[in-house]
Amino acid sequence: MSNKFTDACKSFFDSVKSKFTSKSSEKAVGGEALAIEGGNTFFDKVKAFFKPKRSLDKTKARAGYFFVLPFLLGIVLIYLPILFDSIWYSFTVSTKGASVWDESLGQYVQTQVTTFVGFDNYVQAFSDQDFYAKLLSSLQQILFQVPAIVIFSLFIAVVLNQKMLGRAVFRAIFFVPVIISTGVMEIVNLNDSLQSGAGEGIDDGTGGQGGSEIISMLDVQALFANMKIGTELVTYVVGLVNDIYSIINYSGVQMLIFLAGLQSISPSIYEACQIEGATGWETFWKVTFPMISPMILVNAIYTVIDAFTRTNNPAMNYASNQAYHNPIPGVGVAMSWIYFLLVALIIAVVGAIASSFVFYQRRD
Amino acid sequence: MDSKTVVTKETKNKIHVDFDGKLTLKERILYKLKTSNTWMKVIVNIFRFVLMLGVSYVIIFPFVSKIANSFMTLDDIVDATVSLIPKNFTFDNYKYIFLENDYMTAFGNTLLLSSTTALIQTFVSCLVGYGLAKFKFKGNNFVFVLVVVIMIIPHSTLELAMRDFFTKFDLLLPASMDQSTKGIIELIAGTRPSIRDTMAPFYVLSIGGLAFKNGLYIYLMRQFFKGVPDELEESAYVDGSGTFRTFLQIILPLSIPMMITVFLFSFSWSWTDVFYRDVFFEGLNAPWMLSNLIEKVPPTLNMVNNQAMPLYRIAIQNTAGLMIIAPLVIMYLFCQRYLVQGIERSGLVG
Repeated sequence: MSNKFTDACKSFFDSVKSKFTSKSSEKAVGGEALAIEGGNTFFDKVKAFFKPKRSLDKTKARAGYFFVLPFLLGIVLIYLPILFDSIWYSFTVSTKGASVWDESLGQYVQTQVTTFVGFDNYVQAFSDQDFYAKLLSSLQQILFQVPAIVIFSLFIAVVLNQKMLGRAVFRAIFFVPVIISTGVMEIVNLNDSLQSGAGEGIDDGTGGQGGSEIISMLDVQALFANMKIGTELVTYVVGLVNDIYSIINYSGVQMLIFLAGLQSISPSIYEACQIEGATGWETFWKVTFPMISPMILVNAIYTVIDAFTRTNNPAMNYASNQAYHNPIPGVGVAMSWIYFLLVALIIAVVGAIASSFVFYQRRD
Repeated sequence: MDSKTVVTKETKNKIHVDFDGKLTLKERILYKLKTSNTWMKVIVNIFRFVLMLGVSYVIIFPFVSKIANSFMTLDDIVDATVSLIPKNFTFDNYKYIFLENDYMTAFGNTLLLSSTTALIQTFVSCLVGYGLAKFKFKGNNFVFVLVVVIMIIPHSTLELAMRDFFTKFDLLLPASMDQSTKGIIELIAGTRPSIRDTMAPFYVLSIGGLAFKNGLYIYLMRQFFKGVPDELEESAYVDGSGTFRTFLQIILPLSIPMMITVFLFSFSWSWTDVFYRDVFFEGLNAPWMLSNLIEKVPPTLNMVNNQAMPLYRIAIQNTAGLMIIAPLVIMYLFCQRYLVQGIERSGLVG
């Protein structure tokens, strides 16, 4: 049966083939062979223009451009103008000019005279003592919190990655702050804690003295004071304990990224460790840590970015406040650019430090 | 021990091995407990559990105290002896915020804005992430650098410029240049319309992949697609499927957990957003959003003459905050499974 079928197919294809070859040979006799193969007529040229024969790589490259097109258009059409404006404002001072009669509105309209002043706004921003203080405290806060957040989220991710009682519930709870304690809730929490005069006890986010009833700042200080480990370290640790609420709140995304990284480590490596008799401690430092180190780099950078783009950041708040209330808005904009440049520097340094010990597994 | 091992055949495919038949269950437990490793394990487990419990407490407790506060009357809030359990249980806070602050309008507006922008952002970052991860084209790395750049330049630096841009809205043209040159919109429509106080700026930013934390979404998507094996697409191409069909029919269904993660982030961050609301919604005609609720005390509850009013105002604000996040919490309960799953399956590689 199958033989018959294939035979029939063969004969069919042969007949089709012979028809085509005979046609082309006829045309070749007529001297029009090029028209068929090369596409010499106008219509063929048009067709070739819209649907040229490309290699797969080229086709894929074009498809790639298509996929990133929305973003590229967004950058060119929206982002660059905004960026230009923002930089332009920081270099200019606009003052009120003469009133001009506007035909279309039917009233006098105040014109604005914009003058280019070079780095004057930046100089003025630096001479602002308040800004200077806020800038320093913000940078200090970032430098303090970044290691704490990265280490904390790594620790929690490692724990959450192990099998334990109620793991699913804990996971669900730990990502609550990422989803909920943002934006408007930050303001609510801030007002809440301001109202009840927090600052004496540990900030547990309730604003009340709930935390301080269990453990107070003084206790923590007293605990570390006798350890003779230097006052700087003590103040750092005490500061961290005080900040525990915000550290937990801001390490959600980092935890997720670490968890993903931990999941991508092949279980067979751990199996091999177990067979070789490595302890958990050794396994962590010799296997988990190197394998997770690219994530540490990513998270360190993300944490810096997150910390300084946050809405409750003092320096950023001050700068945007100045942009609205200072007679020269350019000064406020200049302030935020100064701040951005400093943070970009921090990101570069953090990136350089972290990438020096990052280990990339070769995936072949 | 080995000599006493008894192997009995239970069924066709099942054997029962009795290691050292002498030991009873009790003896075996005792034997296990004698080895130090077991004790260590028990201690570590307890320690771990308590630690997780403690951290969970820090996360959950503020919400518990807010919920408790929200059911209190003014008297309870002033009363120092009342904490966590209200003496005079009341729904008034909820009731008046709901009725007098127009909760339903705010909810509708916020739901519309958040869901549409989140959908657009998820789709756009999916496209861009796929393009960056799977295609080698000239400037691929440059585009990725651009993604990082939009991630690290904070939008508060661009706040003023963004506001002006959408007040005199035109594509390709900065707002500060408005005398002689004409942008795309002005060439078509003749004027530069102000699209502030509408939801349009959010859509414009979302379509361009420039909205809040969009860089992060694109990055997450890119990493996810990098983990998808190339063989999948290659086999699709061999079978004659085009690039876009492959994307729509093979890649998109695969990436649903990750898309849910991105959607969840984008949805909830725009739900609680204050910054963009302040930048784009300034006039009186601006849509009434959920995040506006915390700024307005319902007239019935506003007892101006009362000494404790500042304290009570905070309690009302807390209640409003709870009402804002309540829908989010409900959504999170349904989606949290996917949140971890999406990231876990991605196998992110730095």
